[in-house]
Amino acid sequence: MNGKNRMGSRLAMALVFFFLYAPIFVLMVFSFNDSSSRTMWHGFTLDWYKELFQDGIILQSLYTTLLVALLSALIATVAGTFAAIGFYNMRRRWRTPLLTVNNIPMTNADIVTGVSMCLFFVAAFGLWNAFAQQFNESHTAQLPSLAMGFGTLLIAHITFNIPYVILSVGPKLRQMDRNLMEAAQDLGCTWMQAFWKVMLPEIKPGVVNGLLIAFTMSVDDFVISYFTAGPSTSTLAMTIYGMTKRRISPKINAISTLLFATVLLLLVIVNLREMRQERARKHPGAQREISSRRGNLIGAGALAALILVLVLLSRQSGERVVNVCGWGENIDPALIEQFQDETGIRVNYQTAESNEAMYSKVVMGGSGYDVIVPSDYMISQMRQEGLLAELNFDNIPNYALIGDAYKNLSFDPDNQYAVPYTWGTLGIIYNTTMVEEPITSWSALFDPQYAGQVLMINNPRDAIGVALLYLGYSVNTHDEGEIQEAYELLRQAKADGVYQSFVMDEVYDKMEAGEAAIAVYYAGDFLSMYDNNPDLAYVVPEEGSNWFVDAMCVLKDAAHKEEAEAWINFICETQSCLANMDYIWYASPNAEALAQYPDYYREAYGEEMDPALYEVMAAPEEVLANCEAYDALPAEVNAVYKNLWTELGIKG
Amino acid sequence: MAKELIRLVDCCMAFDGEAVLDHINLYFNDSEFLTLLGPSGCGKTTTLRIIGGFLTPTSGEVLFDGVRMNDVPPHLRQVNTVFQRYALFPHLNVFENVAFGLRIGKTVMEEVKGKQVRRKEKLPEEEIRQRVLEMLEIVSLKGFENRRVSELSGGQQQRVAIARALVNRPKVLLLDEPLAALDLRLRKDMQSELKRIQQQMGITFIYVTHDQEEALAMSDTIVVMDQGKIQQIGTPEDIYNEPKNAFVADFIGESNILDGVMHEDYVVEFFNRKFKCLDKGFQPMEPVDVVIRPEDVDIVPVEKGQLRGTVTAVTFKGVHYDTIVDFKGFKWLIQTTDYHEVGKEIGIVLNPDDIHIMHKSQYSGMFGDYSSYSEEYDEINDPTYVEEDEDTEGRGDEE
Repeated sequence: MNGKNRMGSRLAMALVFFFLYAPIFVLMVFSFNDSSSRTMWHGFTLDWYKELFQDGIILQSLYTTLLVALLSALIATVAGTFAAIGFYNMRRRWRTPLLTVNNIPMTNADIVTGVSMCLFFVAAFGLWNAFAQQFNESHTAQLPSLAMGFGTLLIAHITFNIPYVILSVGPKLRQMDRNLMEAAQDLGCTWMQAFWKVMLPEIKPGVVNGLLIAFTMSVDDFVISYFTAGPSTSTLAMTIYGMTKRRISPKINAISTLLFATVLLLLVIVNLREMRQERARKHPGAQREISSRRGNLIGAGALAALILVLVLLSRQSGERVVNVCGWGENIDPALIEQFQDETGIRVNYQTAESNEAMYSKVVMGGSGYDVIVPSDYMISQMRQEGLLAELNFDNIPNYALIGDAYKNLSFDPDNQYAVPYTWGTLGIIYNTTMVEEPITSWSALFDPQYAGQVLMINNPRDAIGVALLYLGYSVNTHDEGEIQEAYELLRQAKADGVYQSFVMDEVYDKMEAGEAAIAVYYAGDFLSMYDNNPDLAYVVPEEGSNWFVDAMCVLKDAAHKEEAEAWINFICETQSCLANMDYIWYASPNAEALAQYPDYYREAYGEEMDPALYEVMAAPEEVLANCEAYDALPAEVNAVYKNLWTELGIKG
Repeated sequence: MAKELIRLVDCCMAFDGEAVLDHINLYFNDSEFLTLLGPSGCGKTTTLRIIGGFLTPTSGEVLFDGVRMNDVPPHLRQVNTVFQRYALFPHLNVFENVAFGLRIGKTVMEEVKGKQVRRKEKLPEEEIRQRVLEMLEIVSLKGFENRRVSELSGGQQQRVAIARALVNRPKVLLLDEPLAALDLRLRKDMQSELKRIQQQMGITFIYVTHDQEEALAMSDTIVVMDQGKIQQIGTPEDIYNEPKNAFVADFIGESNILDGVMHEDYVVEFFNRKFKCLDKGFQPMEPVDVVIRPEDVDIVPVEKGQLRGTVTAVTFKGVHYDTIVDFKGFKWLIQTTDYHEVGKEIGIVLNPDDIHIMHKSQYSGMFGDYSSYSEEYDEINDPTYVEEDEDTEGRGDEE
């Protein structure tokens, strides 16, 4: 071979390996980073691993993921293997079209599979539950009502795994000598004996391969799980995705590193085993057969034990549950365990990535949530659509602790539907080393002198909102002319190249790394950026801003209303609010907690809290007086927003 | 007197409505080496698979010792099979392959509390070991116990397959073209080896092949089949010397088959000339097929010949020359030890015992003319030629 070619192919191989493994390497390195920054190295720490093992939400979803993957892979392997044998024994004229049908689910988009399964389960369970209700009224024997959950998740995973197993086992069957099974039966085996003694050893590589593929596909899956898991179950992928509303915690780096290391270890073991077998093959002896048989036995035993342990672990005590849907990294997970310990009510905590995603899941039906935590404008909308239940405040005595400033707000004027959870302001985050003088006005966002330095927030309500504020209009205006004017401002600034990009959670990395000077984002998130880069500052501009409230609501069709109210009451406790504030950096509406937080901080960290930072988190009254909350906009105004936003994306 | 073991009564088999076996009636005796012989698609493998229990006949009966077995699955039949491509278990070594059937154990029926119950009888390990080693010695594979089957040559694999079947001491061994995948030399060795094993074990072999030489060399009885029907049953000598119709005459060895008319007993006319023969019992002036084996023809100088012809082709075959001779447009194959060059005119003489007379049949006129020098002749002598599975449809099929 010619030397130049060899160099070229080596380079190509090096590049392939680089692109395959560099991202994983980065992830592993940052799992040890002593900071939540995803771009800058702040020193070595094992804290993320420690926190990981204290985070009940992540651990529970990891556990669910592994259990579903293991069970679905095993069941799909058994079912798929026998299905493959069925195909193999079929006449060709039937087999070919049926195999094609078998392959369709694999080429089908996950989203289609997921949605169709969800609709199927909703429809089937709806019929069953209606029947069960009728039956239960007239009989003493009671039929259970069905809802989506672990069972449907498992069924969905088994379903999408089976085609992969068939595809993996099929070729091994075709490679096998057709007469082998007949030879075994001729020698006295029943079909089943022949299967175990002859066919299975022959197709074992295909079966094991199918099992591994199924396991991996199951761990991998997000979309189908999202639609079929119901309210009580979350896979790891769902939990991670739910974090994208805020930043993805480095705990995820830690767990990913652990998963990767586990897979690597498994591969090493498998390879070592193969090498040993290869060597044994070269020095044959009857011993080998026996030892491999014993190995199989040990393997099967270990697998059975593992499943047993997982199943035992999954048996949660207590009949009472509450299904909560929050945002990722938006609660101190210790609170969930504390609540469970105190009340015996099991909390199924799921996360959504945005108000809109949560809303569409609820509207689609079968979400099964009891408690949701929408933002103000979404509460208005859901209340008007009759999706929310009136709360029984006798069950929520801690509501009294909520400050008056957070009551009687426009989204819930009579305090019937919502209990505020967190609140904060929208403002400008800027890097003090990158601007000449402190920023005080929204004008900075439209100023060509900062060309290429500004990160605009990537959602229409906030982006057009800040333009309206700058122009002196209300963020809730229905006047199309004013909105048009605000749009024009944004379009011009974009055309002038002011905006480096439109971002959501990438804002963390860019601001922490000093890649941009100015950004529009939320106060609570500023605090976690500040942790990693003390050059950053936050301001609520002089024109005023949006202040927002996320509040806990109970869905009208909640199955566990009483438990939901117990949960809300628990979250309103001063101690819970303090813990949450410390964990998520968003201000609590609990007046006591708000006042006590500086003391709490001193006790926890042994130092005074910077009053300026406290003011960022809990904006003082004079700042709030200048701020406006979002109202739900009428549909026609929403349409205007949507059209202008699309236009902005295309133009400039 | 030989004891009858298996009988097929009026067996028919059809795949997708297409008849593969057409009213087969056949019996198999104890300690007999019986060969089912016929071209591809004649139904011989189907017959074997019906006996083995892998196929159930569409109609008719399969009797073992007079008991109907149509629906008894393979593992409960006292027959074992040697498959065409050996079908050894690749994940087991030689010893374990041979021991396979013994480890499964025999199914025995016994009475427990008045009920017939099936029970597996397990053999002690020591007995298994002894029987396997004994059998490996019979097939000349002593010392190969720990080899992987993939390390063996074709012939050795074949022996393992035979040992694996025989170690179970079946009453009948079924062999489906067991030598087809071996080269010519090894095939010859294995033929005598198989015959020796059969005689040593004293059991019935039912052997399927399309190779007439193999059939003639090994069999006690040959069953010639074509188109799902039995054409002739007999000893190798009977079949060769007294073929029943043109198909058999052509399929077993080489034959020149001519149209003739039987004038009276012992007198036949062809090429407008009367010949003496040894056949009788035909209608006066009955049209018949006349068979003349190529090696039976004596070439003489033209003037001494009963018939005259011209040599048109000569092929050297080692022991003899294949000489094609044109008689008035009809070409014969004649095998002689003397060389006659192309273009030479010769005469031939036929003795009465060189002439065999057959009734006319559906095969008349299809065989026995060497006008186009026979391709099938080459095919049958080609050791690399492997017959295709005749009933793949029944078992699914290969990619």
